[in-house]
Amino acid sequence: MTANDMMAEIRDANLSYLMLAQQMIRADKVTAIFRLGISADIADLIESMSNAQILKLAGGNMMLARFRFDDSAILGMLTNYNKDRSLAQSHAAILMAGQPVEEIA
Amino acid sequence: MSKKSVVSEAQEIQLAIELINLGARLQLLESEVSLSRERLLKLYKELKGVSPPKGMLPFSTDWFLTWQPNIHSSLFVNIHHFLVTHAGATGIHAVMKAYQLYLEQMPPAPGEEPVLSLTRAWTLVRFFNSDMLKLEPCGKCQGKFVVDAMDLNGGYVCGLCHMPSRAGKTKKAREAESQAA
Repeated sequence: MTANDMMAEIRDANLSYLMLAQQMIRADKVTAIFRLGISADIADLIESMSNAQILKLAGGNMMLARFRFDDSAILGMLTNYNKDRSLAQSHAAILMAGQPVEEIA
Repeated sequence: MSKKSVVSEAQEIQLAIELINLGARLQLLESEVSLSRERLLKLYKELKGVSPPKGMLPFSTDWFLTWQPNIHSSLFVNIHHFLVTHAGATGIHAVMKAYQLYLEQMPPAPGEEPVLSLTRAWTLVRFFNSDMLKLEPCGKCQGKFVVDAMDLNGGYVCGLCHMPSRAGKTKKAREAESQAA
């Protein structure tokens, strides 16, 4: 994969992320905030963006969505758990629900 | 008494329908929806085809502290807490949304009831509001779990980091295993 391909992929991912996020927020803001793990301010921001704004924002070569596991405990639990898989997932869900949201500083 | 608004009544009926479909019992409906008991009864019969179950609601906090229910209720409370603090949800709507998200995370096996029913989830939130139960971080994984507010919870370790030896070894699980073998 060349660097150019990679940039194109990133722009694609950005666009689908923003469009999906906006759809989720417009359909049901409360659940979308939980699923996306963002603050209400950011949700308002994404909700109010026009298509042109989304295209502009997604057109950059930087990834817009960030990795949500800044905690090695959750990550380890999801990937190498030696117990029941459904148990591991519920454990991870409990930890994820307790995480702070992404906020505008 | 204020004049009855048709629009707000329609909204109340809509709310009642959603609650009944999620499995609410009549006591929950009576305290959260401002419709008369007769109308709620009619609505319940129309939606479910049967009369609502009679009798008191479970009122003990102990159920939430046993192993499997504790995991389910901890997940629900964490979601509910998240929705209230970050998404600005309130009251019965927060409970409803949190319950729907809980069902997505822990879908019940086909043909089976979810471990935590909506009425139990609602009772759980009331126990939290009256400080009978609280959340305590587990010393190992830092996840927050439901504990009795009156217990001594120093050095608490959750039921998932420290599984009790007989946890999950139910008759049902054994039968499923023997069928798979």
